[in-house]
Amino acid sequence: MSILEVNSVKKTYTTRFGGNKVEALKGVSFSVEAGEYVAIMGESGSGKTTLLNILAALDTATSGQIFLGGKNLAEIKENELASFRRDNLGFVFQEFNLLDTFSVKDNILLPMVLSGKTVAEMEERILPLSLALGIHGILDKFPYEISGGQKQRVAAARALINQPQLLLADEPTGALDSKSSDELLRIFKSINQDGQTILMVTHSVKAASHAGRVLFIRDGVVFHQIYRGNSTDEQLYQKISDTLTMLLTGGDE
Amino acid sequence: MKKGFYAKMAFSNIRKNYRFFIPHILTGAGLLGSFYIILTLAMDGRLHEIKGGDYIPTFMVMGVAIIGLLSIILLFYTNSFLMKQRKREFGLYNILGMEKSHIGKVLFFESLFSNGCAIILGLAFGILFYKLCSLAVCRLLGTELIVGFYFITLKTILPAGLAFLVLDLIIYFINQISIGRMKPVDLLKSTKVGEKEPKVKWPLLILGILTLGGGYYISLTTESPLKALLLFFVAIILVIIGTYFLLTAGSIWVLKGLKKNKKYYYNKKHMPAVSGLLYRMKQNAVGMASIAILATGVLVMLSTTLSLYTRAENILASNYPDDCYITNQYGVFENGYENDQDYTFYELPVEYTEETITQVAKKHNLSVTEFAAQDYLEVAYVMEGNELSVDTQHLNIADNLAGLANILFITEEDYVKTGGEPLHLEKDEVEICPFNITDKYPYQSITIHGKKYQIKAVGDRFPIKTPMVSVVNVYGMVVADEDVLNDIYEAQKLEYGTYASNYSHRIVASFDNHLRLFDVGEDFTKDLRASFEQYIQEHHSEAVEYSTPAIDSVWDARTSIYGMYGTLLFLGILLGLVCLFATVLIIYYKQISEGYEDRDRFQIMEKVGMSKAEVKTTIRKQTLMVFFIPLIVAGVHMIFAIPLLTKLLKVLLLSNPWTFVMYAAICFVAFAVIYVVIYTLTARTYYKIVHNED
Repeated sequence: MSILEVNSVKKTYTTRFGGNKVEALKGVSFSVEAGEYVAIMGESGSGKTTLLNILAALDTATSGQIFLGGKNLAEIKENELASFRRDNLGFVFQEFNLLDTFSVKDNILLPMVLSGKTVAEMEERILPLSLALGIHGILDKFPYEISGGQKQRVAAARALINQPQLLLADEPTGALDSKSSDELLRIFKSINQDGQTILMVTHSVKAASHAGRVLFIRDGVVFHQIYRGNSTDEQLYQKISDTLTMLLTGGDE
Repeated sequence: MKKGFYAKMAFSNIRKNYRFFIPHILTGAGLLGSFYIILTLAMDGRLHEIKGGDYIPTFMVMGVAIIGLLSIILLFYTNSFLMKQRKREFGLYNILGMEKSHIGKVLFFESLFSNGCAIILGLAFGILFYKLCSLAVCRLLGTELIVGFYFITLKTILPAGLAFLVLDLIIYFINQISIGRMKPVDLLKSTKVGEKEPKVKWPLLILGILTLGGGYYISLTTESPLKALLLFFVAIILVIIGTYFLLTAGSIWVLKGLKKNKKYYYNKKHMPAVSGLLYRMKQNAVGMASIAILATGVLVMLSTTLSLYTRAENILASNYPDDCYITNQYGVFENGYENDQDYTFYELPVEYTEETITQVAKKHNLSVTEFAAQDYLEVAYVMEGNELSVDTQHLNIADNLAGLANILFITEEDYVKTGGEPLHLEKDEVEICPFNITDKYPYQSITIHGKKYQIKAVGDRFPIKTPMVSVVNVYGMVVADEDVLNDIYEAQKLEYGTYASNYSHRIVASFDNHLRLFDVGEDFTKDLRASFEQYIQEHHSEAVEYSTPAIDSVWDARTSIYGMYGTLLFLGILLGLVCLFATVLIIYYKQISEGYEDRDRFQIMEKVGMSKAEVKTTIRKQTLMVFFIPLIVAGVHMIFAIPLLTKLLKVLLLSNPWTFVMYAAICFVAFAVIYVVIYTLTARTYYKIVHNED
């Protein structure tokens, strides 16, 4: 069963004074099956951030449809969008986006609080999650007291706490050192193995090589995709590198 | 670099940061304008010559001091907000390659433009509105307006302008130093420093409760009006300290308590607001306390001065049941003025005095409606229970003022002569008439100088009125005859010695046309005094020095009451406006600076799944609490201030406490309305900033 279906999504930006039109997405189509771990790669300006924003319902497509869990995003009413996003999507951002005013625990619990869950449910859910992500010891600290790697794991915990259908990650390793990156990718892999569907946008070949499938976007279209098949991470890494080289040298499909 | 580059850059910076600069400039201008107006009022000689104008210089000098102090605080305050915002920009310039000396030049031009603007605007505003204000003062003092009333002098323009220039320079140098000390990275980050979650400071909380409680306690327990006057400033300081401490420590304590209550805290209606408040509580609490104190100041100043001014006629009427009181005695120093005791007392013949008054009245087209000659003895006593004694050691201590009593003695003969019913008093019997005491006299007898008298009756009508509501208790007492009165006279003379009271012989007169009376009153007094002097000189050609009979009249009192209350009311309104302005300013700066800080927070919350409506509710909750707590605190302060202020007003002759309570309530409601308007306007700016709509 496919959790996410993207059908020829187009996005056209009009510049501020109404002059030029910029096509960020020129018709993107793909689908993500339940339990899949998909990485989307592309150069800066390829349209991947635009795509992610549209998937996250933070932005709307100019044309085309997106179905998340069978529901058309365009049909969700404005006032239901926030709760839909909260209950079905989890986000991990490059810049962590933790709130300084909240303790680590409160940051993680925020989506549950917004969904109106009881305190008992919260306590029940945060314990296994914080243990799995290795942040149980820092629950009472504040974001400015912990390291970048820890921050990103806290952000991951916040994204997962509402058990979303889809975890969206935007350059999750972008602001991390290599050790913390490995740690986070290991965690992503393990939660994926537990059944969590993940869609990750990244620059990093290393990060992408942990995924089950890699989509390449160039100039607003899905240009190519690689399935892991039986490859190891290293083999996939090699394949991705080759594809990127090909993309850079300008080869056509 | 090109000439004028820094100036141009400074100019465009001011334009870009208009949200911070415009209030800063307006603050400077507004304060300077008010400062100039009050200073000029204090120095404008023509105003002091108007009827009742002699109070103007003293009170205005007080006002100058208060506005000066407020200016220092407020200008530093607006500057701190401005600089916090500017430092980031300066940091960026530094990183982009501008040296600190270049930044210093930009800062110089920015300060020059904004402060120069403020000073010019302020002086223009002051000069423009001075005429209006001086007319307002004349109106309040009840004087005819002087035509062509304009007063501009370098004598006040220069000092006012210079005072603010010096203040601006000090702030400018402090800014330069603080920029010189910072590293570029710090400059870039300066608005992004995370504040640690505050801890509850128990000593501060306890100290706050104690000081505030102390202030309230003073207000609730002080009985004597004079003591109230002495303790008023102590109470103010205690309440100010208490407000700061209690709001800082108390608010954190409450919020932490809310946070500990998991059921309450982990709710989308509460969690963002509570943690948002807690995060910035240290700053918030100081702002809240400042607003609460300024608001209380506005309320106290306006309600007291308004109740005094509007009750002026009633105060006059109740203190001057008759129009004019003449102490029909004069002293003559036959051998020069060396010692207080070197004079001899003489009495004017009652017929002569009455004749003179009638003549002077005729000269001014007035006629006398009533004459009365009153003979009485007034003695100050310490009153303990039902015993009156003379305790010279305690007489001057404000503490015992509540126990002080002035007693006016008259004989039954005089009492009946002035229309009282015959009492048939025995020698050991008296009638007592409490003047300004609402409680009934509770005893059956009274002991005076160790001698016991039975209270035959408690009366409410006493022919002699003291012209002023006294801050001490006053009783009238009717005794059987001349002998009893003489016993008391001798007894008090024995104990007081040279400070003993003498018999008073007073002539009381009332006139027919009050409107005319108030018009010619000043000349009336002068003419009367001249006639008395003439009489004394005729009869005591050998006198070196002499004192004339004291003339205490409703018209002179009217002039001085309107002079005093009018000046006070003007000051109350002007200072009230300045305080209101300061309140607006603090609210405004809080809102916009927090708006910029909160923008990121709310954007993250929206990304995590908070709807725009929820963001709005959170913001409303947060700001409502921050803004309405000060209003509530000010209201509570006012309620607790009522006992103390009514006693204070008694010193200023206002004896009816309900007038003050009414004006306090009206002022509070009016202030609340203005406050809500300000809140709504600034909250809108805050939303705009948070939603990135500019």
